[in-house]
Amino acid sequence: MTATMQPKSEAAEAPRRGKRTPGAGENTRPRRGPMQFGHWWWALPGIALVFAIHYVATGIGGFFAFTNWTGIGSFKITGLANFEAIFKDPTKLGALSNTLFLAFGSVLLGNIAGLVIALGLNRVLKTRYILRTLFFMPVVLSPLATAYIWKYIFDFDGPLNAFLAAIGAGDQAKPWLADPQWAIWTVLVVLVWSSTGFAMVIFMAGLAGVPVEVEEAAAIDGANLWQRFRNVTLPAIRPAVAIATTLGIVQGLRVFDPIMALTGGGPAGATETLATQVYKQAFALGNFGGGAALALVLAAIILIFAVLQQRLTRSNPED
Amino acid sequence: MKSERLDMTQHRRYSGLKVGALAVPTVAALILTGCSASTGSSSSSGGSQEFSLSFATSNTMESPFQVLAENYMKSHPNVKITFNPQPNDSYDQTLRTQLQAGNASDVVVTSPGSGTGRSILPLAQAGFLEPLDDAAKKLVPEGSTSTFGSDGKVYGQATEITISALVSNETAAAAAGGFPADFSSLQQQCKALESSGKSLFALAGAAPPNTGLMAMSLAASRVYAEDPKWNDKRAAKETTFAGSDGWKSALEAVNTLKDAGCFQKGAAGGGFDAITKGLASGTSVSGFIPAPSWKQLQSAAGGSQFAVRPLPAEQGSGKSYLFASANYAFSINAASKNKDAAKAFLDWAAQPEQTKAFAEIDGALPVSGLDTYDFDGGAYKNVGALIKDGKYGPLPNIQWPNSAVYDALATGVQGIITGQKSPDQVLQAMDAAWGQ
Amino acid sequence: MFRYTKLTLLREVGLWALALLFLTPFYFLVTTALKPDTELFTTSALAPPTSPDFSNFVDVLTATGNSNVVMGLVNSAIITAGSIVGLIALGSITGYVITRSTRRWSKGAYYLFLIAIILPGQLGAVPLYMGARSMGLTGSAWGLIILYTGMLLPLSIFLYANFFRGLGTDYEEAATIDGASKSQIFSKVVFPMMAPATGTVTIFAGLIVWNDFFTSLIFLGGSANQTLPVAMYYYIGSLVSQWNSIFAIVIVSMIPILALFLFAQKRFIQGFSGGLKG
Repeated sequence: MTATMQPKSEAAEAPRRGKRTPGAGENTRPRRGPMQFGHWWWALPGIALVFAIHYVATGIGGFFAFTNWTGIGSFKITGLANFEAIFKDPTKLGALSNTLFLAFGSVLLGNIAGLVIALGLNRVLKTRYILRTLFFMPVVLSPLATAYIWKYIFDFDGPLNAFLAAIGAGDQAKPWLADPQWAIWTVLVVLVWSSTGFAMVIFMAGLAGVPVEVEEAAAIDGANLWQRFRNVTLPAIRPAVAIATTLGIVQGLRVFDPIMALTGGGPAGATETLATQVYKQAFALGNFGGGAALALVLAAIILIFAVLQQRLTRSNPED
Repeated sequence: MKSERLDMTQHRRYSGLKVGALAVPTVAALILTGCSASTGSSSSSGGSQEFSLSFATSNTMESPFQVLAENYMKSHPNVKITFNPQPNDSYDQTLRTQLQAGNASDVVVTSPGSGTGRSILPLAQAGFLEPLDDAAKKLVPEGSTSTFGSDGKVYGQATEITISALVSNETAAAAAGGFPADFSSLQQQCKALESSGKSLFALAGAAPPNTGLMAMSLAASRVYAEDPKWNDKRAAKETTFAGSDGWKSALEAVNTLKDAGCFQKGAAGGGFDAITKGLASGTSVSGFIPAPSWKQLQSAAGGSQFAVRPLPAEQGSGKSYLFASANYAFSINAASKNKDAAKAFLDWAAQPEQTKAFAEIDGALPVSGLDTYDFDGGAYKNVGALIKDGKYGPLPNIQWPNSAVYDALATGVQGIITGQKSPDQVLQAMDAAWGQ
Repeated sequence: MFRYTKLTLLREVGLWALALLFLTPFYFLVTTALKPDTELFTTSALAPPTSPDFSNFVDVLTATGNSNVVMGLVNSAIITAGSIVGLIALGSITGYVITRSTRRWSKGAYYLFLIAIILPGQLGAVPLYMGARSMGLTGSAWGLIILYTGMLLPLSIFLYANFFRGLGTDYEEAATIDGASKSQIFSKVVFPMMAPATGTVTIFAGLIVWNDFFTSLIFLGGSANQTLPVAMYYYIGSLVSQWNSIFAIVIVSMIPILALFLFAQKRFIQGFSGGLKG
C-alpha cells in the first residue's frame, strides 16, 4: 500500500459520511460535468488484461461451439448441429432442471437463512462479532475441503447414519450421496451451508446502514416487529438483497465444484448440472464442440437471469 | 484396465478437484488444460541423451513407469530423464492439451484403441504420435494390431498384460467355504455372506469406472466368450447393444447380484476406498478391479493372501472368459526434439528381461513370453488355464469408438443399482453414444 | 430503546444454539483430525477421540516431495499476496476512472467488466493455456499472479466501482483546488478513502486465490512452485480413507485464510456497506 496522508480513522469514516448525506455523490456529478478526476488512459491496462483473458480467450473457445472439434486434431464447422443435439438430449434437459433447482433453492434458502441470522445479530448483542465470525466460517473453507467434510458426514459409515442409528432410526440409514431421491437434496444442503455466511455478511452490511432513529420512531409509533421489518428495514436493505441474490444466482447457475466433488453428477445423472455436463462433454468425453455449445447456452441462461434479477430487485433506476 | 486401479486412490481426488469459488468463471474452468510439462522437451539442451516422460500416477506407490525409467538411467549413466507425473484424473486432458500446444513430453504413456482420452488411435490420427519401429511391433499382443495403429504402422509399445477380472482375498474366501465355481452357487454364497454381515463383492458404486468394469466382467462369459469379435460386428452395425441377448443378460445379472445381496452395504455410494477397505479387512471377498492391484492389497493387508480370479460364468465352471490386454503403452511425441533418445529407451524397454522386470514391478503379466509364463503358485494361478487355452480377449472398451460409450455403460449400471434405469435403457444409451 | 433486555439475552442464546448446530461439521472436522489411526474405525463417528493426539498434524507438516505442505503454504502465500496487490492496484484505478469519467465509453467499459464476471470460463481455458504457454507464463509464480489478476479483475473493478458511486467527490474537489495533480489526488486522497473496498477485494480475492486448485495445478504443474491446494491434493491422494489425516490438512489449509478474514473483516463489511449505496 502506498503512504497515506490521511489518518486511518478518517478513512474509515469516509463511506459512512457519504451515506449520511444521501445522494451527495450522485447529485453533484452531473452538475460538475466538466470536472474530471483521473486520466481516462489509467483504465487501459485493466481493460486490456480483461479483454485478453476473458473476451479473446472465451471468444476463441466459443468459436468451437460451431465445430465438431474433439479437443485435438482437425475439425469441421458444423453450424448449429451442436445446439440441436443439446435440445434433443434428455440428460442435458435433466441437467437444466437440476441447475435451476439448485440455483434457486440455494439462493432462496441461503439468503433467508443469512437474513434471519443478520437480523438476529443486528444491534446490542454482546457476542455479535464472535457469532458473525462463526457463521462466516464455512465460507472460508475451500470447496475441496467442504466437500471432504460433507462426504464424510453423508458417508454410509459416517456420522449422519451413526446418529440415525443412535436415535433408533437406523432403518433410515442410506448412502445419501448415491440415493436417487436424496442426492440432490444433500447437494442443496451443502450449497446452502457454504453460502449462508456470505449472504449474512452482505445483509449485516446493509443493516448497518439502516438509521437507528427511524427504527426507533417506528417502534414508538407502535409498529410490531414484522411491520418494522416490512416497512423500514426491508426497503433500506434492498441494495443488499440485490447484491446477495445476484451473486447467488450467477454462482448457483454455474455451480460445479461442490457437485463434482460430492457426487460427480451421480447417481446415474441425478445431480448432473449444466456446468458438470460442460466439463464432461468438453474435456472428459472428447466432445469439445458440444461442450462449448452447452457452455454458451449456460452463459445465455445466466445472463438472462442476472438481468431479470437486477430488474426485480433494483430499488431505483440506475444513474 | 490400469487406470481403474489408479483410480482406486484417485477417485476421491477426482471428485475433490473441482475447486473454484465465488464469482470466478475462468478459474473453475481451467480444469481441462492440465499441464505438467512446463519443464518439458523444449527446455532440454538439444543433446539426444536427454528426454522427458509423462505418465499418470497415483500417489500410493512409486509409479512402475518411473521405476523402469530409473533403472534405465542406472544402466545408462549418460541419460537424463525428466519425469512429468500427472494425476490420473487430469492425465488425459493434460496429455491432449500439451500435444495440441506442442509441448508434451518426448515419451508419453498412452492406451491402445480409441476408448479413452489417452488412446492411441485418435492421437495418431491427429498426427501427434511418432510411428515406432519393429521392436514395438513385436510387442503388440495378438489380435490387438488394430488398436495400436493403422496402415501397418504402430504408434504404441505395449508395456504389460493386464487382466481385468476379480481380485479376491483368498483368506476371506477360504473362510467363507471357498470361492464359488458357478453363478448359482455364487448367489447362494452372497446370501450366506450377507447374513453374516459380509459381502462377496466390494463395489465402488459411486465411481463409474468400477461399475463399468463389473458390467464388462459380466459380459465376458455372456457376450465375448461366444463371440470374441462382437465389437467388430457392432462396428459394422451388424448388431447393437440393445439387440444383444448377451449384453441384456449381463446387465440383468447386475440386478441378480444386487438382489442376492452380493454387494457390501451402502455399495451404491461407495468409492474406491470401499473396495480397498473391504478387501484388505476381509469384510468383502472380492472386487472388480484390475489384476495388478493384488500386489498393492497384499502389502496393505498383512496376513491375507490375494489372487486373481475369473468371474464364474453363468453356464458353469468351464465357460469362464477373461479380459487380458495391454492397456498401457509408451508412445513418442511426434513433435519431440529428442526422438533418438526416446527411441533408444523404448528399444531397451522392449527387451524380454525388461518387460519381465516391468511386469514384476507392477504385479502384472509380461507383455512377451506369456506362453512360457509360470502361473503355478502365484497370484495368477487361477487364470493360467484360461490364458493357456486362449480363452481371453482384449478389454472391450479399448475397441469402442469413443469414451462416451463406456461412460454410458458405467453411469448406466450405477442407475441400475439405484433403480433409476433399466438394462434396456442403458444399452440404448450405449448405442446412442456409439454413433456420436 | 434497543437496550440489552431479557429478550436480547434470549436472542443471543438462540443464536448461539443455531451457531453450534451450524458448525457441527467443524466438530467432526476437529475431532476426527485428532483421532489416532487406531481409533478411526473403532470409535463411533459421533464420538470424540478417547486419546486425542496431534500426530496427524505432525505428519501433514512434515510431508515431503509433491505433498510438501509447508512449501505449499509459502507458495500459496506469495501467489495470493501478489494477486491481491495486483487486484487492488489495477482494480482501484480502473474502477475509479470508469466511475468518475464522464466520457461515454466509461459506461461501456463498466458493462464490459460486468459481463466478464458472467462469461463461462470453461470456454476460454484451452486458448488461455496456449497463450500463457507461448508467453512463458506457465510454471512460475509470476505468471500465475498475472493470470489470477486478470481473472478476478472484473470482480475487483465491480466492487471498487460500486464503492465509488457511493462516495462524494468533495475531497477530490478540495484537493484539486489546493493544486494537487490527478495522480496525487488518486494516491493520496482517493486511495486511502477506499480502504473498505480494498478490504472487500482483499478477502474476496484472498479466498478465491488461496482456495483455487485447478489454475495452479495446470499453470504451475510439475514446477517446484506447488500451491497448498495442489500439495493437499497430492497428500490426500495417498490416503484412501484416512479421514483423520485428510481433516488435519484441511484444518492446516484453512487457518491462514481464516486469520486473514479476522484481520480484514471490519473493512470487508464496511466495503459492502459502501458498495451497497450505489
